[in-house]
Amino acid sequence: MPAFLRSQMRNIAPFVTLIALLVFFGVASPSFATFDNAANILTQISVAGVIAVGLTFVILCAEIDLSVASVANATGILVAYFTLQENYVNIANVPLPGVLAIVLALVACAFLGLVNAVGMTAIGIPSFIMTLAMMQIGAGMSALLVRGQIAYAVPAAVATLGAGRIGPIPWIVVVLAMFLLAGHVVLTYTRFGRYVYMVGGNREAAEYSGVNVKLVLGAVMVISALCSGVAGMLGVAHFGSAQQNEFDGYLLDAIAAVVVGGTSLFGGRGGIGNTIIGLLILGVLNNGLDHVEIDSFLKILIRGLILLAALIINVYVQAVRESERDGSP
Amino acid sequence: MPEASTAASGEAPARLAMTGITKSFGGVAALRDVDFVLRAGEIHGLVGENGAGKSTLMKIIAGVHTQYDGRMALDGREVHFRSTRDALAAGIGMVHQELSVVPDLTVAENVYLGQQPTRGGVVDWRAMFEGAREHLASLGIDVDPKARMGALAIGLQQLIELARVLFSGARIVILDEPTSALSPPEVQRLFEVLRGVRASGRSIVFISHFLDDVLAVSDTVTVFRNGRCIVSEAAAGVDKAWVIERMIGRGHEELEESYTGNIKLDSKASAPVVLALRELSAGRAFEGVSLDIRAGEVLGVYGFMGCGQIELARTLFGKLRPRGGTMSIEGRLVRLRSTAAARRAGIAFVPESRRSMLFYREPVYKNVSIAVLGHIARLWLRPSVERDIARRHAETLSIRPPTVDTLLQSLSGGNQQKVALAKWLTWPPKVLVLSEPTRGMDVGAKDDVVGIVRGLRDRGLAVVVMSTEPETVLSLADRIVVMKKGRIVREFADESISKDRLLEAA
Repeated sequence: MPAFLRSQMRNIAPFVTLIALLVFFGVASPSFATFDNAANILTQISVAGVIAVGLTFVILCAEIDLSVASVANATGILVAYFTLQENYVNIANVPLPGVLAIVLALVACAFLGLVNAVGMTAIGIPSFIMTLAMMQIGAGMSALLVRGQIAYAVPAAVATLGAGRIGPIPWIVVVLAMFLLAGHVVLTYTRFGRYVYMVGGNREAAEYSGVNVKLVLGAVMVISALCSGVAGMLGVAHFGSAQQNEFDGYLLDAIAAVVVGGTSLFGGRGGIGNTIIGLLILGVLNNGLDHVEIDSFLKILIRGLILLAALIINVYVQAVRESERDGSP
Repeated sequence: MPEASTAASGEAPARLAMTGITKSFGGVAALRDVDFVLRAGEIHGLVGENGAGKSTLMKIIAGVHTQYDGRMALDGREVHFRSTRDALAAGIGMVHQELSVVPDLTVAENVYLGQQPTRGGVVDWRAMFEGAREHLASLGIDVDPKARMGALAIGLQQLIELARVLFSGARIVILDEPTSALSPPEVQRLFEVLRGVRASGRSIVFISHFLDDVLAVSDTVTVFRNGRCIVSEAAAGVDKAWVIERMIGRGHEELEESYTGNIKLDSKASAPVVLALRELSAGRAFEGVSLDIRAGEVLGVYGFMGCGQIELARTLFGKLRPRGGTMSIEGRLVRLRSTAAARRAGIAFVPESRRSMLFYREPVYKNVSIAVLGHIARLWLRPSVERDIARRHAETLSIRPPTVDTLLQSLSGGNQQKVALAKWLTWPPKVLVLSEPTRGMDVGAKDDVVGIVRGLRDRGLAVVVMSTEPETVLSLADRIVVMKKGRIVREFADESISKDRLLEAA
């Protein structure tokens, strides 16, 4: 394999996968390649997409955040909890002005991210375990707030962004685009973004260069929780309800989007561009499988196989890189 | 035990005989035509500078290096080990400087590691504890076999590892720097155990930089220099100065500068103190370190591997927290909570391993700018400024290739080291701490680094050079302190010094 292709494998493989999927579904189903369906796909990936933006920061640092879906759920429920509900909703909630409800929900999810950050950096709990605990804490908060009930109303701003449209384009897609753009700008053009890549690339070297590694790690956990919180609020508006376990599937979707897109699980390689491709692969796959005649149970298996293939490429590319480095003088 | 030592140097049969051993790595000869004889029931001291060939020879004996020229005979039968497993099966065991004990297991489990006694497929704990107790007692080691390994002192852990090696059937035990982490009483206890092992007819190779220890316990001393076995003598008839002379070599056979002559140290006792350490200590690593590091002066810290200098360097850069004592910079007391705090306080550090300093998959300019990004960019990066800075350094330090977008991994080792230095040159720190700045470099690159460090010193920086190689310290330092087992034992300032006096002090 030529050196250039090999060095770009991380970016090429996901791109080729996406094109192949688009061609396949386009040929297999006449209803797939339409403008309406494209808008559908984008809407379907929006909630997972906003979560994936934050998760990209975390994975670039060679850490993981398993609490994203649960924090999203808790934040979504919290914003509903602070909103006046209809009479038939049997939740002892605390109605507040919309802006205040949103601010409180954001503060709450940032706080959960901060707890993750402190657990990891000050106490030294591995992110895998720390965020596993936070996953449970988030689920517990959700359960306590709604107590098995379902809330429906959210602040007007959240309702618009989550379920409204400007012209033909859903607002939620616009929000996703803005988050992706902001994530890309921060990672590529700011000092903090550079630190994220360097900490992920060689944590020890970053530390010996006087980079405050713990601060960077703490910051990415808070960013991840904030993105999850925003996704949670949008999702509640998008689905039209706030209830327990509503976001459970999004943990896997968000991680899969980042990793399938080619961001290295070992940190330091990849970025928002990769995450966009990963999101599209996932979106096209989920949507496309509904357009072709296929056993709906087989769908789950196919998704698993695609994820496995992406992981193999992800780890294989890293192994090639390592051996190249060891071989060099 | 005078009887044993005469027996060993004379009539005892050769347990291991190596003749004409030659080994090279990529065209560089590590061993040249070496003859080595280890007798039954002797303690054989092996000394020589770093890179003299001691470890290479031992690795051949232990089956690590399988490609070599020459012959090796064990108890008169010719052998050629194809793997470490071969060597183990033939009764050759090794205790490394870095112990390979399992701290979370009990003493007994460590002794029986990999060969637990079983009954019906289940570990027979009672037999294991009893067996371990008996075996340790037979070596004169008194310890509870149920104790957790990690809770014991290092000296005891080492004895237990030695016991394990013997227990696995070793007739030849190679000890690599066994005394470097031990206190004097622990050293004495180790020696007693070793003498007991010798009395049982087994042979011991004792590799060490601590010549006093080698001479105290060995029957025979063999000196290596530049891949050659220079001399083998009965230890009773020689002293430390004699050994040092043969380790360094008076003949100037080698072209390379060997620092055997005197070097005049030009210490600047009147220069202002930039960094002052008072009674600094960090756990087991070092204690009671008091130093004044002055502007415009290179302070060399010399000591053997494991003497505490690596930990001292990390403490200066805020990576390790001191257990006690104080640090002050320009008279102001500082407590470094992180490496970022150390950088802000004006301290820079280049660790001994380039891998822990550099980003191999990133371009050169990002490697250079990482330490000074805070000066260049508040929020937004300015890549053109980063590239300009990197280009300037590439030019002044003659980094090859000079293109700053090259990935770091494609540079040679010497050029990588220059990049590691370049990090700190844009906004020079007050104190620059260098650990092994010239290790593994060719002569040209070494000279470049020496030149860079001298240039920084002349600009008024306080420089600390930590090294286990006397040449590195002698070529750079204006003042030298010697560290030994975590303490500063000697200071050389404003006087003439030579390599043998430095080795003598360590």
